[in-house]
Amino acid sequence: MNQKNAVIKTKNLTKSYSSAHAVQEVNLAVPEGCIYGFLGPNGAGKSTTMKMLLGLIKPTDGDITVLGTPLVRAGKSAKEKERLSVLKQTGSLIESPSYYGHLTGRENLEILCTLKNVPQSEISEALSIVRMEKQQDKKAAHYSLGMKQRLGLAGALLGHPKLLLLDEPTNGLDPAGIQEMRELVRSLPETCHMTVMVSSHLLSEIDQMADYAGIINKGRLIYQDSLLRLHEYSRRQLCLRTDNNSRAMAVLNENRIDCRLEGGFLTFAETADEKTAYLISALVKEGIGILRVEERQKSLEDIFLELTGKQVSL
Amino acid sequence: MLAVCIKSENLKIRRSYIWLAFLFIPVVPAVMGTQNYLNNLGMLKNEWYSLWTQVTLFYTDFFFAPLVAIYCSYLWRLENQNKNRHLLLTAPVKACDIFLGKLAVIIRITLLTQLWIFALYLIAGKLARLPGFPPPLLFLYIARGCLGGIAVAAVQLLISMQLRSFAAPVAIACIGSITGFLASNSRFAVYYPYSLMVVGMNANKSEDMLSGNGAVFFISCLAYLTLSCTAAILLLKRQDVKA
Repeated sequence: MNQKNAVIKTKNLTKSYSSAHAVQEVNLAVPEGCIYGFLGPNGAGKSTTMKMLLGLIKPTDGDITVLGTPLVRAGKSAKEKERLSVLKQTGSLIESPSYYGHLTGRENLEILCTLKNVPQSEISEALSIVRMEKQQDKKAAHYSLGMKQRLGLAGALLGHPKLLLLDEPTNGLDPAGIQEMRELVRSLPETCHMTVMVSSHLLSEIDQMADYAGIINKGRLIYQDSLLRLHEYSRRQLCLRTDNNSRAMAVLNENRIDCRLEGGFLTFAETADEKTAYLISALVKEGIGILRVEERQKSLEDIFLELTGKQVSL
Repeated sequence: MLAVCIKSENLKIRRSYIWLAFLFIPVVPAVMGTQNYLNNLGMLKNEWYSLWTQVTLFYTDFFFAPLVAIYCSYLWRLENQNKNRHLLLTAPVKACDIFLGKLAVIIRITLLTQLWIFALYLIAGKLARLPGFPPPLLFLYIARGCLGGIAVAAVQLLISMQLRSFAAPVAIACIGSITGFLASNSRFAVYYPYSLMVVGMNANKSEDMLSGNGAVFFISCLAYLTLSCTAAILLLKRQDVKA
């Protein structure tokens, strides 16, 4: 990943409370113009990390740079001016959507426009992006959760931010709402030229939305790369058990066939029929007994579980 | 940016219950005070002055601080609901403007409340068939009451910001009111925030409670205002935000 074009960069970002580390030495790098899926089981430290990026929570240690502006150096926050200059270019939706219930959707956005110093004319545009024009004059308290979530997103979009931080934006939505929110987020980098960081505890969701993924578990970042790389882990493998694995390895190496020994099985990245036939005949010729031949495929879920080591809702 | 914050706070209190509290709560001390005045006409012979002592007795000693506490709690309750603190504190505005914006709105409502209680006092006086108009000295008392009221408002706004509860700060204001009433007769009156309103308005007294103490009163009001604002702004800047 090109570190130079990282919109969000953290180094050894840590937040500890009296007894426990909520986030520990996290090094994020979110490339410009991508959708970055921030994945982890509940309580892994996703929200805490995103709140630190926004300055809502002060880190115990580490560095944060957002949009090229250093916000935290070795746990020490930069001046308020710097933070505000970043906030001006950042939209966010943290945890459940925020709104003033006694005001209408449009009035809620008017407040945000005022605070962000953005012309009120942007409200209509934001409302049309989230398809809320028809409900704009209803009180926000009477909205369904999906509508509140979309209102929150409209608010985050005001002022055309360069960076959007969305914390579990599909939480609590029904399937149609999830689908809609996903499509909306998916379209943002292209239509609005934004970099989006979106968190979720659902792998399938990140899989459908994101280009990059960071996986956090127990406060530590355990994976960070493109989603394509993650998918590579899930390719098919051929697994073979013989009565003499070490001799078999030697034979295969002589024949220049790539293989690894994993848990008593010889594993091969390639599973094409002719290759399979070839390598088995090579082994049989040397008098090696073949005990098992299996084709295996890891699902993304398996990889996720392997990485996080715990059962999560999928 | 302060103007922006004040504007957004004004947008937030549109159609809110704060105005009901503003309108109806001051009516209670006005009625009670007038009632008391009419029942004790034998002792209270100073007409407009006497009526003033009775209305302000109830207003400043029992109702004012809790009323301001309700205003302050309401304003912060808006932010405590639906995780609106996230929204507010990720807006590109300074922490000091956030607090001062809220304070400005509270001060405006507090001043309006002062005008309203004065209007109620005038109405009560006319209904009680008092001759002419109140003496001009009362305008000074109202102005002093405004100063004391602003100090109480700043203290309450800080308490409501920190406690994140609606009722607890109002309860504190009730206790403050009663202890303020007790303290108002002591020499500590000008140093205790909840007494400032009582002595400022010259409640239930015929002689001036502040005679010769005006400067100390003024400095005390200013000190509570500055201390509360400074504490609140530092807390807003340094605390982790809990929504």
